[in-house]
Amino acid sequence: METERAMGELRDFKSGKSGKPPRETSPRRLAAIIAGDIAGYSRLMEIDEEGTHGRVKRIERSLIEPSIAEHHGRLVKTTGDGFIAIFDSPVEAVRCGIVIQQQMVGRNASLPRQHWIEYRIGINLGDVIIEAGDVYGDGVNIASRLEGIADPGQVYISGGIYEQIKHKLVCGYESLGDRKVKNITDPVSVYRVLPDPAAFRRTRKRREHILILLLSFVLLVIASGALWYVFWQPHGKLGRQASAPVSLEMPKVPSSPPPTAKQAAPLPQLSTPAAPATPQAAPQVQPVPSVAPAAKQAAPPTQAASPATPATQPTSVMREPEMKILRGGSFTMGSNDDVTEKPAHQVTIKPFAISQYPISVREWNECAAAKACAFVAIGKDDAPITNISWSDAKQFVAWLAGATRKAYRLPSEAEWEYAARAGTQTRYWWGDQFQSGMANCKNCTDIAAAEQPIKVGSFKPNPFGLYDMGGGVDQWVEDCWHKNYLGAPADGAAWGEGECPSHVIRSGSWKNDAQYVRPSNRDGYDTHVRYPTHGFRVALSP
Amino acid sequence: MKISRLIALSVVLTCLSFAAYAQGKPAPKDALLYFVWPQNGTTIKGGFWCRFGLRNMGVTHAGDNFKNSGHHHLLVDVNEPLDPNEPIPQDKSHLHFGAGQTEARIELPPGNHTLQLVLGDADHYPFNPPVVSQKITVRIK
Repeated sequence: METERAMGELRDFKSGKSGKPPRETSPRRLAAIIAGDIAGYSRLMEIDEEGTHGRVKRIERSLIEPSIAEHHGRLVKTTGDGFIAIFDSPVEAVRCGIVIQQQMVGRNASLPRQHWIEYRIGINLGDVIIEAGDVYGDGVNIASRLEGIADPGQVYISGGIYEQIKHKLVCGYESLGDRKVKNITDPVSVYRVLPDPAAFRRTRKRREHILILLLSFVLLVIASGALWYVFWQPHGKLGRQASAPVSLEMPKVPSSPPPTAKQAAPLPQLSTPAAPATPQAAPQVQPVPSVAPAAKQAAPPTQAASPATPATQPTSVMREPEMKILRGGSFTMGSNDDVTEKPAHQVTIKPFAISQYPISVREWNECAAAKACAFVAIGKDDAPITNISWSDAKQFVAWLAGATRKAYRLPSEAEWEYAARAGTQTRYWWGDQFQSGMANCKNCTDIAAAEQPIKVGSFKPNPFGLYDMGGGVDQWVEDCWHKNYLGAPADGAAWGEGECPSHVIRSGSWKNDAQYVRPSNRDGYDTHVRYPTHGFRVALSP
Repeated sequence: MKISRLIALSVVLTCLSFAAYAQGKPAPKDALLYFVWPQNGTTIKGGFWCRFGLRNMGVTHAGDNFKNSGHHHLLVDVNEPLDPNEPIPQDKSHLHFGAGQTEARIELPPGNHTLQLVLGDADHYPFNPPVVSQKITVRIK
């Protein structure tokens, strides 16, 4: 099929537009030849034969062939791990090479390093003999030799190509000198193509950037240290205590208060969790699991700083997110409002705990300070963390679980919706009609855009006592993105584990309108990509 | 006290410089963003693969700050003008392809729909000048 097509193309190219009478007889012509092959193909095949083969075929079909066609070239043949194409124009040939390499960067981005498919590309200008399904000649050999010496992900060109394109294509070219290549008498001058002319300076600039970053970081640390010294030191404990109620955290005695506080407050009411009509019913009381965390906390006392020492080591106190324990139950997940939310289906949720607020900048930066989260957030401490990818969020929960020795994780999509609905089945948790001032969404509040994202917990909590479940920041959940609920699990577990190109986001953000605030609203986004409105909250298995 | 104020000021300035860093990156004048498929006015039955074309710039994944490269965004039935000073919105009508995708399976309800491509930089801001495709109309049967 492949060769058939190539032959067809070659035939029409011989007889067609590129010169009529002389070329009909002579299959010789001058062409820019691209030779590409996959670095470490046999290694890839060893890891995952079928998968690699499938991916390579997909890349050929969806990237190599269209890119060649787009740049007016012709694919001569594909081998197991490579391809050869010819172009009338050296400029187009090099452009095509760059496009392929750059797009491969994107395609590899979502995969672990050992599964990367990286092409080496060599381009040469030479006289070739064209025959059905193949090309021959020194020119082709040199192209494949260039490809052989190219680094993975790079485009190497010969001197001939360089002479043709140096003033036409805005790229950087690094001369690698004359190279002797196998079975070719004369040495070939070789150039490495850098996608843009600034690439030379960029490596230097990047180093400068890193230096500046480091410097400013050091500066920040010094400054915050100095500020802390100036403002906090004289007041001592007072300052810390004053900040506690605002931040709603419990830095002082981390082991006992959260479960007891929660138990103490709502216990007397003891209403059933399925009572959606009474918002103050607080059905989150779950005496059984609440005992478990208390017991667990007692077990590793060495982990958190002991209550006796906070005065001497204030920074080592492990601050945990405020969690709400939810009793499990059944509910109807999804709605008929959007194709992605169909079909509505019954899901049963096991008891679990979910953070009362989205994770804040302060909470995030403890992870960053521990060097467990790669992303360092700048912003107000009590604002929700934003601009993080799903993989960033996973780093955070892994760190939190490790540091606290509790099973912190991202909530599943079903758990998120259960928590957001808080026992209701209406469009919004407060009813079927949107009411302004209930959630942080576009045109729903008077908050100026410049102040966004505003502090967590600025709006009314839902009947489960959870804040910002809808509006505010988009929130990652554990599940892979599926375009609707056909085939979704009914046990509340996350749907799809591990590697998938995109994951589910919930809640909608301050930049989305009221439609997105609905608890059933859902969307997907690329797993490894950060976006300025994306944050998350954490869950905890009892 | 004076020193601490100076330090505070320098901190603020550092933060400001970070904020300024995010604005639209310059794009080459001859950059061309276009639909490989579908073409304007195409009638399509059911879902389709939308293929994005880009000349004189490269596609990379979001977050990567390579010069003259960005990632695709597909705007479906969007009528509001593009705000060059804001990240390209993320919602059901602004589809993001931050992993460097150059094609996407699109499913739309029957009727006429407009499609437009916008190239975003590492931080999802439009380039300056904006690199956008022609706004095409397709008809779904």
